Amino acid sequence: MNSSIFNQLEKVGFNILKSANIQKKIEGFSLLAPAGIWLILLLLLPTLVIFELSLVPGIRPGDIVNPSGIDNYLRVFEPINLVVVKRSLWFAFGSTFICLLLGFPVAYWIAQIAPKPWRNLLVLGFVLPLWTSSLLRTYAWITILRPTGVLNSFLTNFGLPSLEILNSPAAVFVGMAYSYLPYMVLILYASLEKLDRQLLEASADLGANPMATFWKVTVPQTLPGITAGSLLVFITGLGDFVDPELLGGASSMTVSRLIYNQFLGASRNWGFGSALSMVLILGVSVAIALFIKYGDNSTIQS
Amino acid sequence: MAPKHPSQFFRQLTRRQWLKGSTAALSGLALSSCGWTLADVGSNPGETGATDQLYIYTWAGYTDDKLLERFYQETGIRAIADVFDSNEAMLARLQASGGGGYSIIYPSDYMVQQMMELGLLTELDKSRIKGLEQLFGNFQDPIYDPGNRYSVPVSWGTTGLIYHRSKFPEPPQDWEFIWDNRQKLSKRMTLLNDVREVMGASLRMLGYSYNSVNPEEIEQAYERLMEIKGYIASFDSDAWRTQILAGDLLLAMCYSSDANEVFEENEDLAYVVPESGSSVWTDTLAIPSTAPNPEGAYAWINFLLQPDVSAQICERLSFATPNQEAFKILPEEVQNNATLFPSASTLEKCEGLAPLGDEVSEIYDRYWTQLTSS
Repeated sequence: MNSSIFNQLEKVGFNILKSANIQKKIEGFSLLAPAGIWLILLLLLPTLVIFELSLVPGIRPGDIVNPSGIDNYLRVFEPINLVVVKRSLWFAFGSTFICLLLGFPVAYWIAQIAPKPWRNLLVLGFVLPLWTSSLLRTYAWITILRPTGVLNSFLTNFGLPSLEILNSPAAVFVGMAYSYLPYMVLILYASLEKLDRQLLEASADLGANPMATFWKVTVPQTLPGITAGSLLVFITGLGDFVDPELLGGASSMTVSRLIYNQFLGASRNWGFGSALSMVLILGVSVAIALFIKYGDNSTIQS
Repeated sequence: MAPKHPSQFFRQLTRRQWLKGSTAALSGLALSSCGWTLADVGSNPGETGATDQLYIYTWAGYTDDKLLERFYQETGIRAIADVFDSNEAMLARLQASGGGGYSIIYPSDYMVQQMMELGLLTELDKSRIKGLEQLFGNFQDPIYDPGNRYSVPVSWGTTGLIYHRSKFPEPPQDWEFIWDNRQKLSKRMTLLNDVREVMGASLRMLGYSYNSVNPEEIEQAYERLMEIKGYIASFDSDAWRTQILAGDLLLAMCYSSDANEVFEENEDLAYVVPESGSSVWTDTLAIPSTAPNPEGAYAWINFLLQPDVSAQICERLSFATPNQEAFKILPEEVQNNATLFPSASTLEKCEGLAPLGDEVSEIYDRYWTQLTSS
């Protein structure tokens, strides 16, 4: 008798357990499904289509899609296209460096020196430009940088020589650094906020000069933030279209502009455009992989 | 037999339904199968859309609110205009978006021919168009579209140079001026963002045809362009207007109709058709094969063929009309405007752009990419 009751109880318990398992699965699925389906339909499948197109040499609209080789990828390595790739990397590296140089002091000041009640407001103020369209901000830079623009009339008013910035790489750096600085500051701020000041004091007590303290204590502690911010700016900069297009003039062809030309410009070579896109995706993926490897590990260590 | 647990039943059903739905969606994409046709616009008949709306794809500066408003007054159709800045961009956009929902497009001469061959244009039903006979004789039977079967000429002009008179004691006469004065013009000039026009100008300066199919000639033209590459501010077909008015540019390569438009705002500007020759172009009205509102498209064509409408936009939007009746009612000073209506001797030096065929187009494109990428 007893044993049968136990048996039944066991059965009931098992059933409860089982249905709990199912419920958990359903729960998991329903939580993941919306974003998962979204990603599969709008990211994974399109990327596969791009990959398929990249394997058709010189395909134009109206042609039959028949993957037949890697000619498009070989074309990426033609000297003229390598120049374009190099230029894109140079713009991305350069603007990352400028953002880091300009962003670190600001983030440090907001996180450590500014009065506490003001900090959130200051960060908000710094992110405020992001509320306007990036296109609009770039057009504003045209107005500032053009030969008879705001900057030059200001300079000539003070008897200084005018500058030729618009339609040059310098203008692209200005535009990109301006666009991405808020991201850099935001991420560095989050990292610098957690900076342990006692360690700074300890370092000073032990005789380190401020320079040594900065390089040996502050920088290592905020390295994850520096890595994260730099990679974010670098990744965004690598795919930037607006700044080189509007500010760079005749000698500022970048990978994303070249891709645009293959699809919506005069060239109409969707195969080559797809191959370029895949290379760009690969480049960004490598950057993200580096970020996961170095960015995260150091977070765990700290 | 124990009945199926409701939740299990439910799960199976939904999964099956979901699979069914998603396969239907995927077959639309035709992903895995080899041999699907990329962006096959020509063979897709357009879906019929709202008849009280007309989407127009045109060159910047070819329509204004007044014109769209008058069209609405006369026909009750709301016209919405989008703009492009090169024929190639227009074609690419149309192909990339399956027609883009446009019922009227404004391709130029050689592009009409190219789009015709791609099957992207509707053959016009002449019985629905009134006033074609008013066109000047040379627009009745153009080479790019004999008998105007697919297109109706709406505007024409030349390509040349616009410049600040006060900045050049010796005004430019020929394309060579750019090469001779590149130091002075450094970052103060723009060329059109158009492979055929820019390569053509260089070809013409060298004494070859705008439509050269000789690879050696094309290469020479490219070499010459590389000499001035570093001095060009940008390749640009539209933005030069504000820049030259502001004084940021000294000289720009442009179309005669655009040049005439900015004259009004600055007396110092002048336009010249280079001596060694340039291109003469015709912009047309055409109906894409995907047009959602062909009725409205015909209404637009007939609207623009009316002499007084054509004459008005000739004055207001400053493009030369190919319509004889419209020309007759223009004020004398517009009729004598040499920028809009160049003399016969000037026109003699100019060539129309002809389609080049895929192989030669690729050569042009290759050099153009090198020119713009370096």
